[in-house]
Amino acid sequence: MIQIRGLRKNLNDKWVLDGLDLDIHEGMSLVIMGPSGTGKSVLLKHIVGLFDPDEGELLVEGMSVPKANGRQIREIRSQISYVFQNAALFDSLTAGQNIQLGLTPDECRKYDAHLDPRVIEAVEHVNLDSDVLRLLPAELSGGMQKRVAIARAIVGRQKYILYDEPTTGLDPVNANVINRLIARLQGEIGATSVIVTHDVESAFYLGDRIVLMFDGRVQAQGTPTELRESPDPIVQEFLHPKLT
Amino acid sequence: MARESNLTAGEGRLGSERPPVAWVRRIGRAGLAVTRHIGRAGVLFGATMLALLHPRDHVRETFRQAKAIGIDSLPLVLLVATLSGSILAQQSGYQFTDLPLWIVGNAVAAGMLTELAPLLSAIIMAGRVGAGIGAELGTMKVTDQLDALRTLGRDPVGELIMPRVVAGAIMMIPIVILANIAGIWSGWITGMAMLDMSTHDYVYGVRNYYHSAALIFSLVKGVFFGITITFIGCYVGLQAEGGAAGVGRTARNTVVAIIVALMVLDVVLAPLYKAVG
Repeated sequence: MIQIRGLRKNLNDKWVLDGLDLDIHEGMSLVIMGPSGTGKSVLLKHIVGLFDPDEGELLVEGMSVPKANGRQIREIRSQISYVFQNAALFDSLTAGQNIQLGLTPDECRKYDAHLDPRVIEAVEHVNLDSDVLRLLPAELSGGMQKRVAIARAIVGRQKYILYDEPTTGLDPVNANVINRLIARLQGEIGATSVIVTHDVESAFYLGDRIVLMFDGRVQAQGTPTELRESPDPIVQEFLHPKLT
Repeated sequence: MARESNLTAGEGRLGSERPPVAWVRRIGRAGLAVTRHIGRAGVLFGATMLALLHPRDHVRETFRQAKAIGIDSLPLVLLVATLSGSILAQQSGYQFTDLPLWIVGNAVAAGMLTELAPLLSAIIMAGRVGAGIGAELGTMKVTDQLDALRTLGRDPVGELIMPRVVAGAIMMIPIVILANIAGIWSGWITGMAMLDMSTHDYVYGVRNYYHSAALIFSLVKGVFFGITITFIGCYVGLQAEGGAAGVGRTARNTVVAIIVALMVLDVVLAPLYKAVG
């Protein structure tokens, strides 16, 4: 379980997170929605210890992320995988070597990346052919890069998978492919998924529970049905934006 | 109107600050920035040294970097060393007209061993390797690859910095040796072709100067320069911000920082030669 209490973070003289409270229970698929600049990605980076909060507490499996030392932060990260907005694949490594990085160094030493059974299993999970393993990221399309990034996130079978805007930059067809893939993996792997998006349609498709962030705080949260029926005008404005 | 009055007020404040105060403030800010960079670089260097305690995990990457840093740079280093040996021979031949011709061999050996082979090799490496490392790590920073590495439980210092610094330090040894050989060889060819010098005179001049401490000094300088080039490349790369423009600035800043550091280091190391020589 991930527990967040009173999280505050100031970046460039702006409180990007301003007293955020949130519980993420095991096995759930939690979608975090909200307008740009409301701190959704910053929140994910706090969970994995890439940012330190100015105030507040964040516990992963009972371990405090802000207070963790080097060994503890490695232990926390060993339970979490992160799919970055732009895939963040390593340019100089092949797709196979990128995926293999999701395993521990000792596991990596056992096999060549392109022959590693766990790498092959992961790449098949994301509906890619194993021939892709020998290609460099520059030789892959945007959608394929995202799928390789997801394969890297699932290969180590971590308990939590954080997706930061997984469909950003993709055309609608590829965005649908990625959404269906995330939903299918959620069923097959059973990991706890935290998905950041500002795409309302994706949010309602993927989320067991949806959180709407606004001004660095949780504005509303609930099941997709509860959120649709929320009387909160900010929620309704976000779900049904008017052009005028 | 309001905007105009604000501007006037702003100008008034700036205008009221006397030049010495403004200069002191600027110097103070620059001093703080330099101190901050030195502190951060010190911490990073310490972390790099600690990463040396686990070399087994990074052997393959170190070899890859050694090839990229050393072997791929060699043709350009040898070209410049050859040309500088030739220039040194010509200039000493033209300048020392009252001295015997063997002095050309002496001057070329002294110039190459103590200065030109390590320093010119390092300056070429600054442009070719240092800027490359700065841009590569800068790109990794702005495209979240460094954060990805951390989330994958890998240490960017051990994975990226330590192999480059070790490869830079090791590869500068053969590079400086070969640059010395190329420079002294081209000085000999130039002496024979343009100064009517005999091989015997040239070799006599080189041997007259040569002593093992000079070669050791040359190599020690090379190792220090190799560490400086790769480490500053990594450090400046990690400071990159702001997309493609930021990476461009990083590459430029890397070369400037390395060349300044090399010149300072050259001055600092000069007394070492006096001590060992």
